[in-house]
Amino acid sequence: MKKSIIALFALAALVSCQSLKEEFQPVFTSFYKYPARYQADTLKTTHTIAQLVSLYTPETPLTIKDDIVISGVVSTTDQPGNFYKSFFIQDETGGIEIKVGKNSLYNDYLPGQRIYVYCKDLTLGMYGYKTGNYGGMGMAQIGFSDPSGTYETSYIESQMIINEHIFRGPQEFPVVPVVVDSPSRLPDPKTATQSTNNLVGKLVTFKGLKYANENFVLLYLDSTKDKKAYSNRVFLSDSNGLEKDGARHSITTWAMSESKMKEHLLAGDWDDAKVGSGNTMLMDDAGHEVTLGALKGDGTYPTVEKAAYSVSQYFTLGGTEIQVRTSGFCKFCDVEIDPDILSGKKTITVTGILSLYQGSIQVTVNSLDDFVVDE
Amino acid sequence: MKRLFTVVAALLLAVLASAQAFTGGIKGSVVSRAGRVPVPGAEMTLSQDGKVLAEISSGAEGEFLIEGLANGVYQLDVKADEFSDLTVFVTVDKGFIKDLIFVSLTPAAAIQEADESNFAEFDMDDSGYSDAPTLLLGSNDVYTNVAGYGFSSVRFKNRGYNSETQDVYLAGVKMNDAITGYSPFSLWSGLNEAMRSKDTTIGLETADEGFGGFNGVTNLHAIPTSVRTGWRFSALSNSALYRLRLMASYASGENNGWSYAFNASVRMGGNDWIEGVYYRSFAYYLGVGKRLGDGRLSLVTFATPGERGAQNASTQEVYDLMGDNMYNSNWGYQNGKVRNSRVRKTFEPVTILKYEYTPEDIPLTANATLLWRTGSNGYTALDWYDAMDPRPDYYRNLPSYYYMEDEDYNRVNQDKYEWTTYAWTQRGGEYDNYQHLNWDRLYNVNYHNAEGRSKYALEERHVDQNDLQFAANAKYKVSDDLMVRGGLNLRANRTENYKKMNDLLGGRYFLNIDSFAERDFAANEALLQNDLDYYMAHGSAEKITRGGKYGYDYLAQIRVADIWANGSYKFGQLTAEAGLKAGMTTFWREGLVRKGLFAGRKVDGTHIFATDINGNMIDLTNLSNGQTSYGASEAAKFFTYAAKASVAYDLFGNSRVSANLGYFNDAPTFNNSFISPRTRNTIVDNLTTQKTFSADLNYQIASEFISARVTAFYTKIMDQTDVMSFYDDSQQSFTNFAMTGIDQRHMGIELGVKVPTPVKGLSVSGVLSLGEYIYTSTPHMVQTVDNSAEVVRDAEVTYWQQHPVYVPVDYTAAGVPVYDENLDGTFKVDHYQKHYVPSTPQFATELALNYRTNSYWFFELNGQYFDRAYLDMNPLYRTDTAARGSESNPAIISDMAYQEKFDPAFLLNASAGKSWSIQRKYYLGFSLNVSNILNNRGVKTGGYEQTRLISSVGKDRYYRFDAKYFYMQGANYMLNIYFRF
Repeated sequence: MKKSIIALFALAALVSCQSLKEEFQPVFTSFYKYPARYQADTLKTTHTIAQLVSLYTPETPLTIKDDIVISGVVSTTDQPGNFYKSFFIQDETGGIEIKVGKNSLYNDYLPGQRIYVYCKDLTLGMYGYKTGNYGGMGMAQIGFSDPSGTYETSYIESQMIINEHIFRGPQEFPVVPVVVDSPSRLPDPKTATQSTNNLVGKLVTFKGLKYANENFVLLYLDSTKDKKAYSNRVFLSDSNGLEKDGARHSITTWAMSESKMKEHLLAGDWDDAKVGSGNTMLMDDAGHEVTLGALKGDGTYPTVEKAAYSVSQYFTLGGTEIQVRTSGFCKFCDVEIDPDILSGKKTITVTGILSLYQGSIQVTVNSLDDFVVDE
Repeated sequence: MKRLFTVVAALLLAVLASAQAFTGGIKGSVVSRAGRVPVPGAEMTLSQDGKVLAEISSGAEGEFLIEGLANGVYQLDVKADEFSDLTVFVTVDKGFIKDLIFVSLTPAAAIQEADESNFAEFDMDDSGYSDAPTLLLGSNDVYTNVAGYGFSSVRFKNRGYNSETQDVYLAGVKMNDAITGYSPFSLWSGLNEAMRSKDTTIGLETADEGFGGFNGVTNLHAIPTSVRTGWRFSALSNSALYRLRLMASYASGENNGWSYAFNASVRMGGNDWIEGVYYRSFAYYLGVGKRLGDGRLSLVTFATPGERGAQNASTQEVYDLMGDNMYNSNWGYQNGKVRNSRVRKTFEPVTILKYEYTPEDIPLTANATLLWRTGSNGYTALDWYDAMDPRPDYYRNLPSYYYMEDEDYNRVNQDKYEWTTYAWTQRGGEYDNYQHLNWDRLYNVNYHNAEGRSKYALEERHVDQNDLQFAANAKYKVSDDLMVRGGLNLRANRTENYKKMNDLLGGRYFLNIDSFAERDFAANEALLQNDLDYYMAHGSAEKITRGGKYGYDYLAQIRVADIWANGSYKFGQLTAEAGLKAGMTTFWREGLVRKGLFAGRKVDGTHIFATDINGNMIDLTNLSNGQTSYGASEAAKFFTYAAKASVAYDLFGNSRVSANLGYFNDAPTFNNSFISPRTRNTIVDNLTTQKTFSADLNYQIASEFISARVTAFYTKIMDQTDVMSFYDDSQQSFTNFAMTGIDQRHMGIELGVKVPTPVKGLSVSGVLSLGEYIYTSTPHMVQTVDNSAEVVRDAEVTYWQQHPVYVPVDYTAAGVPVYDENLDGTFKVDHYQKHYVPSTPQFATELALNYRTNSYWFFELNGQYFDRAYLDMNPLYRTDTAARGSESNPAIISDMAYQEKFDPAFLLNASAGKSWSIQRKYYLGFSLNVSNILNNRGVKTGGYEQTRLISSVGKDRYYRFDAKYFYMQGANYMLNIYFRF
């Protein structure tokens, strides 16, 4: 009997042995002191952005093996939602997008903050490069390798990779945009990169932009299906024969939220747009091209997904085309563009990141305040 | 300790002195009911007409003798440690010494410390994991004692029923939560002494206090006279929940018509297994009673103010990375201190006024109770606006998000997988920030905000009840054969649901807008408003500071009235009983703030307008899609009724067979009746009452050689409703999902046997619960977008009840399975797989050895085996949407719809205890319990499926997200030391 009792006690002691020390330590539940503020990091910069980008050859993503460090000041914010999961930094030689891959980055990487990027194991790639006569340069970016082959880089995304490669320096002053008021200063979108032109990727103010009465949207019938299938795509562009409002397709906002898109669709604004991609158009059984109007059904366009869409509104600067590209998820996407701008009566001043896409010049603004109507 | 019984009280001497002429008396032995083991040192109090005549203790063989009593009826109260209290009435006549032979006590050791706090609070709010722990309270039934407490470690649910089916009464008032139906044990946890005294019925039996359902009635007496008299102090330490519990209680018994009782306790500290889970809970109970006329009036008030840290479920991937199935994602370090983001903070005082009417001249007892529950119940959680999801185990923070072997998942980045795995598998220092909440970062984000606007904050979700109830019941013995019982219940519940700002985490304010709405309606600021009226009056959303209400604010208003009656008639060995209940339940929602998305109309019926980003006037009333958030909703009214009948037949040898039948038509609960109660007044379509048919057949025997019960039961529950909200990847939006017409069938047998062995003091008991609890209908679902109330799906949940299983007949050279086809081109179904009612083992058994010695020692050793427990299903995976692609590949149906079955588990538990008496006046004792001695840490006790979908590379089918699980803790001890006098 005694033995069994002792055994029981021994067992009990054994069980709680692991934590015997802290066994009766009280749990802290009173006021938690504020954590310390983050200390600014400093790294020794080895390359300028231009020097880094010069290592890149189009269509050959480069995973960096050397201890390269670049540094720059944050020039964008994803707060209004026109930038998404990434931000740009710029030094005197150019600007570059860091594809961090997290939401609401402006909370952690503030506009005007110095950032150091330790590039080893990250990938330098390009988005928007297209060969051929209608192509040209895209934008060199820093991201991570993309074994799926969808893009040249993927988002960095994994928090530990971010923490080991992107370092936050001190808060400096907000970036002052470079003013561009004549096309002569613009980079050649067929050939320019950050390594050859110091405006690429930088925050730029374009003065005197005139509306070109044209825009561009790519719709998907079902975004949960293959986005590259021609039968899933509808281009709203000048080549797709939309008659209403010329090439403008009655889109008079900077972009379209889901409700705005639905409004256009149900109003029949795009009924003559054809389903298809490039030279391959979707045909019905009778051999006719399928238009959005043919998918009207009971008036709700049941097979057309209602979603938010980015829009490129086309402007010109002294004859050179500049696309203002705005996301359908940004907070000002449904803002109506002043009719005087759309009619060409007034020009505007736009501040945003100068970027290249398939040989054209695009500008992406941070917020609605970046559009100023010239009086 | 001498072998002689002892006469203690001076009072007794006085009585003896003044009563020397009387020759009558009482004698007998106090024994344990199971095994007839003598119980020495039992305290016995003899009284007559409320006047104490003698206080004695039983001798070493349990024997006692009280002499010198006049003829008459005496009350003998017997109390012994580890046994339930017993009161017997004895008639002394003709001057003889009445020999009671055996006074049998029921062991109470096994159930003594059972309370709600035996369960870690599971984090259920975000999970759809909606079952509160089930706990049957102790009774004399072998099966019920084990099933109610011994099986609680695996969250066993008796007969597979949900917690809300068990009626829990307090002083005669049904306490089940008015909103959810759950039994609110947490209201009195920590008041074990005050709430110890109780009556329990099982299954379909009707109790004196109420009609009951099909899963038993437990009534806690809770009045001062039911608290054990004298002082009692105890200290308890355990490794499972909290380190230390200190408790004190005192009850006066009844003196000069007055009675008093108090009980107070404190529970503090963490545990051995789950970081972040802790208690800092207090409890008090105060009661006073006074005899008034033919009855007694009692006034009681109690509460359990305090806070508890909660646990969260994670996926197996996370548990494996952490090397710990007890990982809790709710906490992180702040300045080196563990801080839990999910803390429940409660202070819900309950006040009871009860009158018991017990006239001497008529065989009637009647009770009336008025009960009021009030106070606050808050539950903290992280809230964030326009910022990264801070949860460490968010799926995008896990290695599997970057790489999976099956390429069809389109997760192909091995490098990211390796980096992420590294972050999860290194320990200490910076790695804590990947594995636990990173409070430092949350504060720094708030510090960095130029305007002082908090992007992260700690909210406190409140469910503050005001529950006023009146209950009356009466029991009248018409004749020796006929007894009638009946009662009345009235309830008015007004519960305010809202969020309160608990901590701004270093910021100065939090803006009261709806971030989900902002994603869709950024162009119209009015639509983002949680409080549109404030916005209209001030031109901007409110800046919430600490303690401010925000988010949502609405009342749940519930009114219940019912009456019941029951009669039982004894005809020789046959007893027949029948009862009826009828009532009305009405409830409605009352919005206290007007939400921008569902503005509805102004009080005068006119429309509400606001300007959008382009300066246009927008009609918010039209945009509300016919819904409204403000004011009272339409009232849902239900006529409810129930009927019960039973027969019992007494056989020879103390055995009895009985059968019970019942039919119930119950109102749905409030929480399953509104599609999105936080945002609008909309009631679920086709809402109807829940119908239940239940029957059981029992055989019981209680003899010297065996004590046993065997029951077979059959229950069909129909027309249940379930409401949930989740992000639906196939809709790419946050949706509400209302499922109606859920039927289930529960059938099975339960068995409890206890037999003494030839070894004195040693008994063996066995318990078995074997059932099949399945879904038997194909429910209907209506899915709406939370932001717009737009109906996106109105269909059947095709594979809820079962799913077809297809077996390949061949494989192509490329390894693609080939299935047999029917003539119409559809695939041949091999068989249908049933789906089970989840989160309880459908097979549970225990074998126990009990040993009790003459020197107050007790020992118990038991082995338990559980099997056939299933994971809770989410309905999305059982829809045709989730089965996309199954026309060409039927295996997809099984992939999406199958239900996980948990592995069986074996557990070994032991307990021991002893008590000592000091000068026969003071008693000191301890009990020690060691559970899960084999330290089995792989026992899943529950969990849920995430309602997320992964699209394949070709976008032609979906895959599931990993499920989240709760695991049972490893070996635990509980040591209780008590002292009383």
